[in-house]
Amino acid sequence: MNLSHFGAMAVFALFVSVVFGLVTKNTPREQFRYGVFVFFSFVCVAIIVGWLMYPFPW
Amino acid sequence: MLNENSPNAPPETETAARELPRLNMGLTVAICCSCFVIPGLGHILMGRWIRGILLALAIGLMFLMGLSMQGELYSSDLNQAPLRLFGFFADAGIGLMYWLAEHARLGAGNMSARTYDYGTAYLWVCGLLNYLTVLDAFDIARGRKP
Repeated sequence: MNLSHFGAMAVFALFVSVVFGLVTKNTPREQFRYGVFVFFSFVCVAIIVGWLMYPFPW
Repeated sequence: MLNENSPNAPPETETAARELPRLNMGLTVAICCSCFVIPGLGHILMGRWIRGILLALAIGLMFLMGLSMQGELYSSDLNQAPLRLFGFFADAGIGLMYWLAEHARLGAGNMSARTYDYGTAYLWVCGLLNYLTVLDAFDIARGRKP
């Protein structure tokens, strides 16, 4: 499998958010909302940290 | 005698928590072991079909993708660098699939592959997530959550 870095990170975030949502919340609605929140948190934080590291060459 | 509507009646959530079914410790251990061996199986055995299937799909696919990205499965060899044992602990959390992959000589890892690091992280994290699902199954079996 040859995913890009972003693709691999997004798929990783998807799987982890599914499990976190199912394990930490009780009702389907809460699980869905929390899963979506975790997914977008993963992706946004990865993009922000990526840009913060961009100026540093090492 | 307490009426549901009386001011001294316990809160609704407390009443609901008391009514949750609770398995005995032997069954709970069996459920946790089955959940460890095959992700999601414990939930399915307790009747949580959708939750169990989703957990099995998420964790199983993550493991397969980790292998297909040429990630590395850490072995239990005690002669290796001590820190690698943490990797083994994480990988072994996936249960039966770890041992099957080890016996099939999958998960050797290819460091020159672009996706090696991601694949290895996938393999670690799916094992760690499975530990979480075992704890979740324990809580459900003991009546601590619905």
